[in-house]
Amino acid sequence: MTKARDKSCINLKLKVWRQKGPDARGRFETYKARDVSTDMSFLEMLDVVNEEIILSGKDPIAFDHDCREGICGACGTMVNGRAHGPEKGTTLCQLHMRHFSPGDTVVIEPWRSRAFKVIKDLVVDRIAFEKIIQAGGYISVNTGGAPDGNAVSVPQEVAEKAMDAAECIGCGACVAACPNASAMLFVGAKISQFTLLPQGLPEAKKRALAMVGKMDQLGFGNCANETECEKECPKEISIENIARMNREFLKAGLL
Amino acid sequence: MQLDSKIPDGPLSEKWDRHRFELKLVNPASKRKFKVIVVGTGLAGASASATLAELGYEVMTFCIQDSPRRAHSIAAQGGINAAKNYQNDGDSIWRLFYDTIKGGDFRSREANVYRLAQISNNIIDQCVAQGVPFAREYGGQLANRSFGGAQVSRTFYARGQTGQQLLLGAYGALSRQIAAGKVSLFTRRDMLDLVVIDGKARGIVARNLVSGELEKYAADAVVLATGGYGNVFFLSTNSMGSNISAAFASYRKGASFANPCFVQIHPTCIPVHGTYQSKLTLMSESLRNDGRVWVPRSPEDKRPPDQIPETERDYYLEERYPRFGNLVPRDVASRNAKVQCDMGKGVGDTRLAVYLDLADAIERDGRDVIARKYGNLFEMYKKITAQDPYETPMMIYPAVHYTMGGLWVDYNLMSTIPGLFVLGEANFSDHGANRLGASALMQGLADGYFIIPYTIGDYLAQDSHDTVREDHSAFNESSLQVETRIKKLLSIGGKRTVDDFHRELGHILWENCGMTRKEKDLKKAKKLVADLRVEFWENVLVGGSGQEFNQSLEKAGRVADFLQFGELMVIDALERKESCGCHFNEDFQTDEHEALRDDENFCHVSAWEYRGEGSKPKLHKESLEFENVELTQRSYK
Amino acid sequence: MQWDLNWFICTLRSSIGKKLIMALTGLGFCIFLIAHLAGNLTICAGEDAFNSYSERLHALGPLIILTEIGLLFFAVAHVFIGAYLFYENFRARPEGYLVKKNAGGRTIGSVTMPYTGLFILLFIVIHLVDFHFVEKTDQTIYQIVLETFSNPGYAFFYIVSMIIVAIHVSHGFWSAFQTLGVSNSEYMSVFRVVSIIISLAVGFGFGILPIYISFIS
Ligand SMILES: Cc1cc2nc3c(=O)[nH]c(=O)nc-3n(C[C@H](O)[C@H](O)[C@H](O)COP(=O)(O)OP(=O)(O)OC[C@H]3O[C@@H](n4cnc5c(N)ncnc54)[C@H](O)[C@@H]3O)c2cc1C
Ligand code: SF4
Ligand code: FES
Repeated sequence: MTKARDKSCINLKLKVWRQKGPDARGRFETYKARDVSTDMSFLEMLDVVNEEIILSGKDPIAFDHDCREGICGACGTMVNGRAHGPEKGTTLCQLHMRHFSPGDTVVIEPWRSRAFKVIKDLVVDRIAFEKIIQAGGYISVNTGGAPDGNAVSVPQEVAEKAMDAAECIGCGACVAACPNASAMLFVGAKISQFTLLPQGLPEAKKRALAMVGKMDQLGFGNCANETECEKECPKEISIENIARMNREFLKAGLL
Repeated sequence: MQLDSKIPDGPLSEKWDRHRFELKLVNPASKRKFKVIVVGTGLAGASASATLAELGYEVMTFCIQDSPRRAHSIAAQGGINAAKNYQNDGDSIWRLFYDTIKGGDFRSREANVYRLAQISNNIIDQCVAQGVPFAREYGGQLANRSFGGAQVSRTFYARGQTGQQLLLGAYGALSRQIAAGKVSLFTRRDMLDLVVIDGKARGIVARNLVSGELEKYAADAVVLATGGYGNVFFLSTNSMGSNISAAFASYRKGASFANPCFVQIHPTCIPVHGTYQSKLTLMSESLRNDGRVWVPRSPEDKRPPDQIPETERDYYLEERYPRFGNLVPRDVASRNAKVQCDMGKGVGDTRLAVYLDLADAIERDGRDVIARKYGNLFEMYKKITAQDPYETPMMIYPAVHYTMGGLWVDYNLMSTIPGLFVLGEANFSDHGANRLGASALMQGLADGYFIIPYTIGDYLAQDSHDTVREDHSAFNESSLQVETRIKKLLSIGGKRTVDDFHRELGHILWENCGMTRKEKDLKKAKKLVADLRVEFWENVLVGGSGQEFNQSLEKAGRVADFLQFGELMVIDALERKESCGCHFNEDFQTDEHEALRDDENFCHVSAWEYRGEGSKPKLHKESLEFENVELTQRSYK
Repeated sequence: MQWDLNWFICTLRSSIGKKLIMALTGLGFCIFLIAHLAGNLTICAGEDAFNSYSERLHALGPLIILTEIGLLFFAVAHVFIGAYLFYENFRARPEGYLVKKNAGGRTIGSVTMPYTGLFILLFIVIHLVDFHFVEKTDQTIYQIVLETFSNPGYAFFYIVSMIIVAIHVSHGFWSAFQTLGVSNSEYMSVFRVVSIIISLAVGFGFGILPIYISFIS
């Protein structure tokens, strides 16, 4: 049955981290979000609040976003102490206001980690992820001369597992949620994808060493197997991938 | 200005080979001396940057987002076509070529499309080698599915995230070149102007979105891969940042704009539900493989879907198009949905939706099989609408999705400005008046991996290039112009926000230059857009300064360009007095309400030349020759 | 590349390498705990059994010394690397959150790891002073145990310590396998269950001793 959709509106109080620039001091500011339709997404709610802020001649809240479909990985803030908000397996742009109740206070903070500097308000610099990928998050093939796509069979379950890992959108929620600000889930997912696929095997050893080495250099914390990352990851990437990375790294480094 | 498409002679199937042989080569040692700017890191830009760097060119790559991986291509869901014929179901390069030409309603170049079909196979091989985890059969072979406008199964996919996986493949290749020092990457940069010196594209001016500074970059050639302009409609399935600004700046500098009115409206999107809505979400077309589209037979029927018996449902696509059924091309599917809703048979609160029902497929194949194919789409639908598609049919409605129009390019993908190459959705080249599903990814990667690397060499090898540096006066002029415009935007201090203007522009275009068009409406729209543009420059409120991270200013610049571009779109639609593909002018239709082409007068590409603010652009026609296929009335019945 | 030069050291100095040491030493302690527990439980078989277990243990001579040195070495590594990891993790987030909620991954064990660790270090020092470095010439180990536990304060401290050890082990055991990369989605739940079982056994097995002793004496 088509349920009559809840068309109700709610009022919220927002407590938002405002910070002019990377070196500026930040602070929390309070805003009222009035008549928020429960069909809105969280970012649409922020859009509406921003319209009001602009009209009142002030500086709107800066936040990263692009696809608004949960796939580009641009969006993401802490919402009431949860990365991407309270819903499981959901990016902030896919979080809908029906998950909030009238009168709620919503605390919105940027990702916090030494490796992710705040650029402005809720926008952080995730260049560290780029550096990690540049260190080896690829298979080294030049364009041209690839063998036929079906030349090497990949068992379906292997392809599926690789895809499970490859779904990572590089949002950084794992780092933000990790009590130690560790990037192991992000790195583990990439290493796993290429370790599982036969095409990635020739470089497996080099890749594991290089990517982990880079990650360590960039100031992320150390994984303590708290598993918060897996719980907060919008793509529900499994910590199995971290175990696989550990194995690959140790194999590469010690054997 | 003369449009020379530079299509090589010879039989269709040999053109590309011959052309490649005839193209001049740059010797390996010299490549290092050439600088190439690539704007955009979607499939087209990332693949081009990586490949050019592999060849030895010095590449500078730009994108708006904080990472190349977040380009809009990441959002493509359904898949990518290739003429591999792995399914042994009768596919071939020729068939893919023919389907694409026919799907585009005979408004694209034979030679380009044939080349695309030829290259399609290499793309799959390349991506597999890069570690793209395509879906596999139990035996480990690559799996395929069917898409609209084709009767063979030729679409390769990675769950519902094909674009993501292909882009991550290209992004990996790009990252590798960055690490090797062959590509310098500039993220969070907004290209605001093209610098043309002695008639050749020699660089860009970009705004650093973090510091607000204007930066100048000089090179020997500029490659634009900045994607489509669907966001001119405000609501579309495109990413929020997708824009026309880079392409439009090039248009202002002399690059012709081709077929701007060719905009694809995708039939299967989640319907609009509120005025605050910021974007529309696509439900992959692949759902039409297993889903059946229907509405109640009677407009009075307001019962919930599960209470409407089979006999009282109108499976209008299956009935009208028995041969293709639910898999008719997008323009046809979209228009039919609109027709049903216009008749009052729409469903849902707004009555602007039709059902896409997978109940039969779930019954036939079991929930598990369906979940494996479409699980993530179902979840996405549920997240947005709070309804469970396993239980109740999805509701869908057409939405703006893709733009076939774009900067005019010749067979070498070079625009009318020498040295400016345009790839991917930003060019107009391969899809005619309608694009078939799963072929944009194919085109973007074909352009970037396999075409530009050859053709740019030909340009660089031929030309005598004196080195140009950023202190050249043309850069200063350009930068000054951009700065003046930014200052102007910031100083207006009006009463309406940028989004407010954008929303209104979108509404005007959707109502009058959308799924169906009429001369009368188009004329009205032309005036409305012009008026709105005037108001924008008097009454917009931007806020903040230019010297900082200012998202409101970014948007303002984009909307300012959309307001100018919107008018060009309408002008183009008015000029094309026929219906073809997505461009459905109600005044030109067959008795069965299908698009009625006028091949005698409109079998051409319309390329518009900018002639200054306030003057009407000049139309140039590139006539399309069809030597290998017969122009027929498209029929999917 | 630096990896080629000093690959072994480099591996150990990396985050995963440090965790590897934590995992291996931690597992070493788990084995020790189980052996220790088995030995302790001989107390239930009576005074003679317990004393003769102790004597036989000490008769092993150099072997026991070697083990002790090994354990000391393990302890030093575990403590220092643990402390260093804690410091690095502290540094990794210079500015904290105003609100931070558990998403469902953390357990008491995982949250308290550094603190339970520190407590256990203290406990071990006290424990060694009381039972290991104690003067044993004029009384048997059985008597020492009896005497020490007859102090209710000490017994309480001991029980609490054992609960804390159990909490530490509940996270540490499965975590070690995760770090070693042994676990995958199928085994992971097994390791987690075994982890709980072992921690219960440790907490219960050791914690029950003072109570048992207060009963028999
Ligand atoms: C929801 C959705 C699903 C789709 N699914 C499919 C599918 O299944 N199969 C298929 O074949 N096609 C699909 N398409 C179409 C396809 O995704 C796009 O046409 C294609 O990805 C475009 O790629 P591109 O490289 O040309 O541009 P984009 O991916 O749009 O990249 C544009 C790049 O240019 C940069 N850029 C833009 N403007 C500027 C500027 N001013 N300055 C600097 N940089 C700039 C951006 O940062 C970005 O990096 C889908 C499209 C949508 C919207
Ligand atoms: S692993 Fe998950 S949380 Fe971390 S970056 Fe990838 S998608 Fe985001
Ligand atoms: S905006 Fe792209 S994931 Fe949220």
